[in-house]
Amino acid sequence: MSEHTTTGMVTVTIDDVTASVPKGTLVIEAARQLGVMIPHFCYHPKLAPDANCRMCLVEIEKMPRLQTSCSTQVTEGMVVRSSVPTVKQARKSVLDFILANHPLDCPVCDQGGRCDLQDFSHEYTASGTKFVELKRVFQKEYFSPVIETQMNRCVQCLRCVRYCDEVMDVRALAPAGRGTLTKIKSFGVHELDCEFCGGCVQICPVGAITSRLSMYEFRPWMLKRTESTCGYCGDGCQMTFQAKDNDLIEVNSTLGVGRNNGDLCSRGYFGYHANVHEDRLQSPMIRCDGELVEVPWEEALAVVAEKLTAIKSANGADAIGGLIASRCTNEDLYLFQKFMRVVIGTNQLDSSARYGHMNGIHALQRVQGTHRWSMSFDDLLSANAILTVGTNLTETNPITALKVKEAVKRRGAELITVEALEPAIGTISNIALLSTHHLPLAPDQFASGTIGLLKAVIQENLVDAELVAHAKDYIDAIKKQVDAISWTDIEARTGLTAEIFQDSAKVFTRAERAVILVGQGVLRSQGGYGMTLNLMDLLVLTGKLNRIGCGLAPLAEENNDQGSVEMGAVSELLPGGKDCRSREAQQSLEAAWGCSLPSGEEGTLMDMLGKAKRGILKAMIIVGENPIGSLPPDSGIEDAIGKLEFLVCQELFLTDTAKRADVIFPACSYAEKDGTFTSTEGHTQAVRKAIEPLGESRPDWEILSALSVMMDHPLEYESVKAIGKEMRDLMPGTRTLGPSPLPPRPCLDTLTQYLQEGYQDTLATRYCLPGMKATHTFVLNVGQSIFHSGKFSTRAKGLIQIQSQGVLSMHPEDAERLGLACGDGVCLENQLGQVKTTVKLSDRIPCGVLFFPEHFDQDIQRLFAVSVDNDTHVPYFKCAHVEVSKAS
Amino acid sequence: MAKYEKILLKNMEQPGYTGSLKEYEQTGGYQAFRKVCEGMAPSDIIETVKLSGLRGRGGAGFPTGVKWSFIPKDHPGPKYLCCNADESEPGTFKDRQLMERDPHQVLEGMAITCYTIGAETAYIYIRGEFWLGAKVLDQAIAEAKKAGYLGSNVLGTGKTINIFVHRGAGAYICGEETALLESLEGKRGKPRFKPPFPATHGLYQKPTVVNNVETLANIPHILNKGAAWFAAIGAPPKGTGTRIFCLSGHIKRPGNYEVPMGVTFREMIYEIGGGMRSDKPLKAFIPGGASAPFLTPEHLDVKMDFESLAMAGSMLGSGGITVMEEGTSMVWAALRLMEFFYHESCGKCTPCREGSSWLVQTLQRISRREGRMSDLDLLLDLCKSIEGRTVCAFGEAEVSPIVSTMRHWRSEYEELIREAEAAHPVKQEIPVLSQI
Amino acid sequence: MIFDKLKDEVNELLSRYPVKRSALLPLLYIAQREEGYVSEPAMKEIAKLLSLTPSQVYETVTFYSMYNLKPIGKFHVQVCRSLMCALVGSDNIVEWIQKNLNISSGQTTADRTFTLSVVECLGSCGTGPMMQVNDDYYERLTEEKVGQIFDDLKQKGSSSLKSGPFMFPQPTKS
Ligand SMILES: Cc1cc2nc3c(=O)[nH]c(=O)nc-3n(C[C@H](O)[C@H](O)[C@H](O)COP(=O)(O)O)c2cc1C
Ligand code: SF4
Ligand code: FES
Repeated sequence: MSEHTTTGMVTVTIDDVTASVPKGTLVIEAARQLGVMIPHFCYHPKLAPDANCRMCLVEIEKMPRLQTSCSTQVTEGMVVRSSVPTVKQARKSVLDFILANHPLDCPVCDQGGRCDLQDFSHEYTASGTKFVELKRVFQKEYFSPVIETQMNRCVQCLRCVRYCDEVMDVRALAPAGRGTLTKIKSFGVHELDCEFCGGCVQICPVGAITSRLSMYEFRPWMLKRTESTCGYCGDGCQMTFQAKDNDLIEVNSTLGVGRNNGDLCSRGYFGYHANVHEDRLQSPMIRCDGELVEVPWEEALAVVAEKLTAIKSANGADAIGGLIASRCTNEDLYLFQKFMRVVIGTNQLDSSARYGHMNGIHALQRVQGTHRWSMSFDDLLSANAILTVGTNLTETNPITALKVKEAVKRRGAELITVEALEPAIGTISNIALLSTHHLPLAPDQFASGTIGLLKAVIQENLVDAELVAHAKDYIDAIKKQVDAISWTDIEARTGLTAEIFQDSAKVFTRAERAVILVGQGVLRSQGGYGMTLNLMDLLVLTGKLNRIGCGLAPLAEENNDQGSVEMGAVSELLPGGKDCRSREAQQSLEAAWGCSLPSGEEGTLMDMLGKAKRGILKAMIIVGENPIGSLPPDSGIEDAIGKLEFLVCQELFLTDTAKRADVIFPACSYAEKDGTFTSTEGHTQAVRKAIEPLGESRPDWEILSALSVMMDHPLEYESVKAIGKEMRDLMPGTRTLGPSPLPPRPCLDTLTQYLQEGYQDTLATRYCLPGMKATHTFVLNVGQSIFHSGKFSTRAKGLIQIQSQGVLSMHPEDAERLGLACGDGVCLENQLGQVKTTVKLSDRIPCGVLFFPEHFDQDIQRLFAVSVDNDTHVPYFKCAHVEVSKAS
Repeated sequence: MAKYEKILLKNMEQPGYTGSLKEYEQTGGYQAFRKVCEGMAPSDIIETVKLSGLRGRGGAGFPTGVKWSFIPKDHPGPKYLCCNADESEPGTFKDRQLMERDPHQVLEGMAITCYTIGAETAYIYIRGEFWLGAKVLDQAIAEAKKAGYLGSNVLGTGKTINIFVHRGAGAYICGEETALLESLEGKRGKPRFKPPFPATHGLYQKPTVVNNVETLANIPHILNKGAAWFAAIGAPPKGTGTRIFCLSGHIKRPGNYEVPMGVTFREMIYEIGGGMRSDKPLKAFIPGGASAPFLTPEHLDVKMDFESLAMAGSMLGSGGITVMEEGTSMVWAALRLMEFFYHESCGKCTPCREGSSWLVQTLQRISRREGRMSDLDLLLDLCKSIEGRTVCAFGEAEVSPIVSTMRHWRSEYEELIREAEAAHPVKQEIPVLSQI
Repeated sequence: MIFDKLKDEVNELLSRYPVKRSALLPLLYIAQREEGYVSEPAMKEIAKLLSLTPSQVYETVTFYSMYNLKPIGKFHVQVCRSLMCALVGSDNIVEWIQKNLNISSGQTTADRTFTLSVVECLGSCGTGPMMQVNDDYYERLTEEKVGQIFDDLKQKGSSSLKSGPFMFPQPTKS
């Protein structure tokens, strides 16, 4: 016994099987580990025990009466019996009780066939029920556009309510009433308004909460299951597509699978219909007399091959550019860049990782010499302090947010949030409410906040002792910079006093394990690269850069931003994230590919657009990306695209950009093809074909491969697996399907180089405070909403039911000052133009800030000026200063 | 019966006594607290209470001193005392009188308990309907605060003791100690599963003592007169002290009577209560609130203490004695109580929630003369499936009226069912497949 | 906004508890006192005050029987029906009230003066039949007494027949 207690293990015997399990394990879990399944309704590994259903009763030696195995922890020498007659009788009686009021409407219940109540009843109740009284019947009530409740079926395990509270931190569900008449509702007679994560649907053991998107459409055994990876954000959730008749019926996630471990967000759970939208392009088209007409594949391919070859021979390879969406699979991305570099022969190529993710990548490469996080998703859970900057975490990376919630709520991590968020309780969770130190900032002042933290570190002598010994110049240089900035200046911009920066800096420094999460608010905003470097300085100064479990994590917005980088689908990086100017990297790639790499200059997105405007770039191949929809008019995008001689688009939909194309190839969505995505953490995961391609659509790589053949530079592969193999050979470490790779350690040579001189060139520009906005103006911020991702999700009917249009969010106090009420029309104006929209009040938005979701084709884009980062070529256009007035 | 001295009701039974601080002090009030504050060690107080043999008056009868000793001594951070004044057990109405008539007696008991367990804050969780009681207590707290018995630096000891009245809002289950804590935390009053117990994880997950009003009211007297004095009263060693019994039902003189533990029901009902209201013979009585199994006239000589009642198959419970005369339908009585329990089941756990609704519907059906003989076994089956399977003791409580009335008066059930069967004969039983 | 003008009362309440949510039941009482019932805006306001979601307030409100989610009459008459009162005639009292006010349990008179609720044990079992009207208890009821109480309430808004500090049986001089 003593031996075990010291090792933290205890011996337990369950149904005559004896084993050692960790101390504190619940009996029900120990039993599962020993292969004994104890039936249960209310227990769920994600939730704190509530022991309400009494289904899991077992006999435990030396204890009076039966005990609930879901709430009892094993103790040394415990003897548990789960299949003795008393236990079986108890289970049967609990089922009798539940079935008494259960409607037994299994024929029309969507849970039928995968229902715990059905399964347990089948196993434990030999006979019918003796219940002859009237069953409890609830009036049917409307619940929400996408979630349906059927309260007669509810077994009152409260898993849904507990999940909504404990895991999601949303608390939208309310068990209303008492006793057997309790029902799950939202507030009063109102319909549910929440994050719509679908968690309640998934966690309900019976059919009491179901999805309206697939109601009455299937029996579970009709569905074809396909394990895949979500295509919406960089969190890379593992999920299961359920298909019937080549149509997607629903999506689920499985406990224990993937980083999301059974959780999803609204986009993952309710957003799958975008893949099978009726507007999907189904056959190739070419422009004839100004009109797009459908043609056979061969014809379309021939036109493109011929035209590109002609342009190349007339104007050189650099007259052709390529742009690809980071939503494509790694295989697509890889083949795209290979196509551009080898078949076309140019470095004019880019992906949508350029819109922000590249800032994070360059900062990581600059300071620690990696293009991946040096910590993992799991390190979030074991962190003692987490600093989030400009993330709006819940809305952009909902599953990362769940990890942070768990770290804070269950494991007591301290959370410092530098966000444009007020800690107000609303219908979706708010990370600021969980923070121990919250620094509410306007979105254009994250830089000031970061500098505040750095100043506090220097001033409070929090700099790592070892660093002081090694990198005096570096520290002095930074000290000189921050000394020149006064607390008064910082306060004027942030509205925050020195103390909160000092307290936060202390918490961060004190933490054994500290993680920085950097979000869109930093990466996509003016000075994003500099800010990220500054945050890396914070890690360096506090001695955490090279410590296990610590690190800086740029959060990717698009699902495969990280893949774009690793596949070399950006101009300056070759596959494996290698510098394209490195001769060594070039040589090894040339050897592998058996050809020479182009020598022309790199061309990133904005470079290409500039060249197009000047008539130097003649043709573009745009794969899945819609720059006209993404970039504001100020970028001159319309002009650039208009000047192109030839535009090819591979697309799912007729986007604003595709409408200008000369040839359109219909591409497959990720539900129709195999491949891999790389999550923001750098974990490569499988994408699997759930349904056959719609119409004549084909995977992007197949299209590129076919083109290459017709252009006499065949890049031929038998299947997507063959591309994968080539990638794996080229870049060991990618495509390690299975457990995620260990995060790379920072490269000490790079770090040394950075500390010696690498830091110098950017120092002056990044250690200065942004300007202040004029007092009468507002900071207008466009960004991501939790219910959408890019514009793809706006084709998902479930998500459109939840959020169908963009409205401007404003703090109630600002609204009051301007005499505005919810739903009023407002006029936004600055030097670029004037836009009318509708206003909604939200006390999550700080005063003086306006927020608009970026997913809808709104002309609000007109108000944004575009500037380009000198170092990373990232275009910035998320923030504008505007004046607001009530629309007449 | 022998003469005895009342402890708890003594003051208030003096004509003109209003329960003000002044009057309470004149009768020796707060002397015990002064004594304690002069430097009694908490461990000595616990020892005294243990030796007195005082057991909880809220229902379960747990030894009070032992309960206090479970509070971790050197626990950093706050600890709490909660006075259980939810008094919702049908048949019980003594705490109301203690609070409305002599509030300082309760407050002094609480102050001493706080001192002993090291709690700076105590809450009186009083049932919402007792609005007057809450008001009286609020005034008394203000008086005591002014006099230095409560607040910061009580009686110059440097200790802080604050007592707040917290009104419930209509839920019997909130009398259950963990449901009480949940309710006090502003949540739905659902019992927690135990362990952990309130002594270590109570209010706000901090060490907490929950004691009944009457339990606490005894404390000053025990400290004033000593453990031995208390331990000699009543039915030592296991039933010491007096208890306030609440007489209700078909009794001539209903009301609250404080007697030493161990008097017999016969003495209680016939001598103190004056016998049956209508001089019809006694048919049945409930000895300890609605949760206690019914007893019959055969049990009149059972002594009113914890052990004797347990031996008789019932329990002392909350001290509410309800008397029923000949002619009362026992099925009806059980149904009335069952309706109460059905209404009050919090719904947390399946057996209690579904069981109560099933039981009440079956009983209603039998009462409507639509029952079947098989219903009787069904009722007992259901009771068996509830007992011992629920989160809290409500499960045991809700089945006791049915189980006990069926034990003693099964014929009344059968009578109703025979009437039903005569009116609606069953044609043929459906054979069970395995028996053909 | 109900609580704007009650800041002191709210703050005093909040100061009693280390965790804000504990003030939920007391605040609901205030809301009910001010408006006669617990309205939706009141629940939302309370949610804000206590940093809860409205759903959390709602789930708590619906658990307890003393909060009215709809407006009720000026006098809320609650008659106990549990066994102890029933043994001494509460059913007759209920019947009498139903007949005389011409409403059944859960209903309000047309003039919105009385709302009748037949409720479970109110903890004065020795002095049944009994009823509670708003905050006050009325015990040892007879039909005449109830009639008198209702007349008093209608005319004066209160009745001297209500129970004072409870003591039963009343001590007799010995
Ligand atoms: C369903 C149920 C209802 C209860 N109601 C009350 C009550 O109204 N008042 C009370 O003091 N104890 C009540 N109790 C007992 C308490 O749980 C607890 O045992 C008591 O408050 C402890 O105090 P004591 O040790 O001083 O008796 C109830 C218990 C149960 C299971
Ligand atoms: S709706 Fe489902 S999950 Fe929620 S309490 Fe009912 S049975 Fe449990
Ligand atoms: S699973 Fe244990 S009580 Fe429900």
